[in-house]
Amino acid sequence: MSSAKNFSFFVLVARNLQNRPYRNIAMVLSFAIIAGTLFSAQYLAGGARQSLETGMDMMGADILVVPDKYAAASQAVILTGEISTFFFNDTGFEKISQIPGVAKASPEIYIATLYGQACCAGPVQIIAIDPGSDFTIATWLKENPGVTMGKDDIIVGSAISGDIGSDLLFYGHTFHIVGRLARTGMGLDMAVFTRIEDAYTMANESGVKAVRKLTIPPGMVSAVLVRVEPGTSPAGISDEIKQRVPGTKTMTPNGLLSTISGQLGAITSLLYGSTIAVTLISIPLLGSISAMVAHEKKKEIAILHALGATKSFIVRLMMAESFSLASLGALTGIGIAVLILVGFQDFIAFTLRIPFTIPSPLMIVAYAGSALLLSIVIGGIASLYPAYLINHSEPYETMRKGES
Amino acid sequence: MITVNSVTKTFGEGTSEIRAVDTVDLEVQPGEFIIIMGRSGSGKSTLLGMLAGLIRPTAGTIRIKGLDINTLNDNQIAELRSQEIGFVFQFSGLIPTVTALENVLIPTLFCPNGPGNRETALGLLKQVGVADRADAYPGTLSSGEMKRVAIARALINKPSLLIADEPTGDLDIATESEIMALFRQLNSEGITIIMVTHNPDLIPCATRTYRMSQGRLKREPDSPSCPGEQRTRDENTDLR
Repeated sequence: MSSAKNFSFFVLVARNLQNRPYRNIAMVLSFAIIAGTLFSAQYLAGGARQSLETGMDMMGADILVVPDKYAAASQAVILTGEISTFFFNDTGFEKISQIPGVAKASPEIYIATLYGQACCAGPVQIIAIDPGSDFTIATWLKENPGVTMGKDDIIVGSAISGDIGSDLLFYGHTFHIVGRLARTGMGLDMAVFTRIEDAYTMANESGVKAVRKLTIPPGMVSAVLVRVEPGTSPAGISDEIKQRVPGTKTMTPNGLLSTISGQLGAITSLLYGSTIAVTLISIPLLGSISAMVAHEKKKEIAILHALGATKSFIVRLMMAESFSLASLGALTGIGIAVLILVGFQDFIAFTLRIPFTIPSPLMIVAYAGSALLLSIVIGGIASLYPAYLINHSEPYETMRKGES
Repeated sequence: MITVNSVTKTFGEGTSEIRAVDTVDLEVQPGEFIIIMGRSGSGKSTLLGMLAGLIRPTAGTIRIKGLDINTLNDNQIAELRSQEIGFVFQFSGLIPTVTALENVLIPTLFCPNGPGNRETALGLLKQVGVADRADAYPGTLSSGEMKRVAIARALINKPSLLIADEPTGDLDIATESEIMALFRQLNSEGITIIMVTHNPDLIPCATRTYRMSQGRLKREPDSPSCPGEQRTRDENTDLR
């Protein structure tokens, strides 16, 4: 396509684009909106999915058992970090541990801290674990061998303020940060993990040290995390738990995923719907601009024909201009979308009430690639009309109709 | 060089059929300067379009350097045009988005192994007297300057045939004389020229003159002097 004559096909394309700024800006903006919207939809859906997978992986549980009437609250604790305190009788825990197929069961106590008070660092979800049976923090501790969780030590979620080695005050009790979990984008990022016995100590002291006493009913826990034996169906164990321990609700990672997927589905439907709407609105706009371009360029194209250009050269020229505009527009749209989505990711996740973490670079490239591809396909469609006109025009007659 | 045999071109069908060119015969030898006169709508531009392979004849044959262009496909005709034919349009026909120099270089895109390059383009712009406007866009050029750039562009691939459709139609007398002097110079260097014009004053520039009327071509008598001849001899010393 290029000639070694200091003037090439690409220079001609570039000059044509540079010197028709207004028309081209309109096309670039259209492509930017299409690509930016599609990229945003994929990015948000992918980020939510990745967040859930990371968070569930970190919890390491196959089943989460919670009091039936606090199912929504416990789901909110895990997914979106809405703090809550609730309990059910841990006699259930004993029964759950004994169900055949249950490999491990570990109780947890969920405590919402006070905020706006001198006694407390802020509104966080304390999750008290049993170090003897826990497999959530235990897994993390195995991966971080230099860290131990002793008396009054806490491991904090990624969104909790405070450096490792510093102290945090909850209900007037001082805790010492010894570790920080990786970001999941879920409610776990706003949780503080401590030992159950330290939680009891904190509760006992709260009557004196805090503005409001915390009561943890003896022998009661908030949730039980269950890991099933290999080859055992979590669904079957869930049914067994519900049968043996009435008043419980079981949640599985897949169940949570489908819950979120439903929630996410509405959002992604909205986003993908927006993409389709934007595309549909843009097509007439792009069609009008393309028609203008076609008529405007008919004479130029006839001149190129007369100078020796083949029809395939002209079609390549039109396609190259269209693809360049589509690519430029798509990259602009994707770039702006990335800036907005990364810059305001917490705000967006909070507003949409979805767990969210930045998708992997590979996924971002894939989303950007598909948005770019869509724009290029639309660009190709937009250049069909000019290409049709070119192949059905009488170049010499066109050329003679007025001055260029 | 060119043999036109009973060429006819009609537009439309039935009662609305227009016979733009009617059974035209023409033989052009290498190095000739042919002028075709005629009123608007007489069919002369259609004939030029057919000679350049831009319009397919309805009947008859056109041979350029022995090749029957009716038998060539679009790409072969385009290749022939890019290598053998330089075209100067009635209007400048410059591409507005590229500079004068780049306009001259455009035909090199279609003839990548041809002789044209940046240096020859600059040389041609100098030859036609607009070297100082090489980086100017067409919108900033005068009509005369645009026409000169268009002539330089027609010559970039060193064609053996130059086809010009009323190249001086919109120019003042002085510029017209300069352009004609340039054409004479190019013709004296061996380029065959076929030019359409309304202006009878240009007839003497030609080796043969024809008049076209209602699609028919008829030879005109020769005439002794050509505008710009004096200028060619005295002033255009930098012409090749």
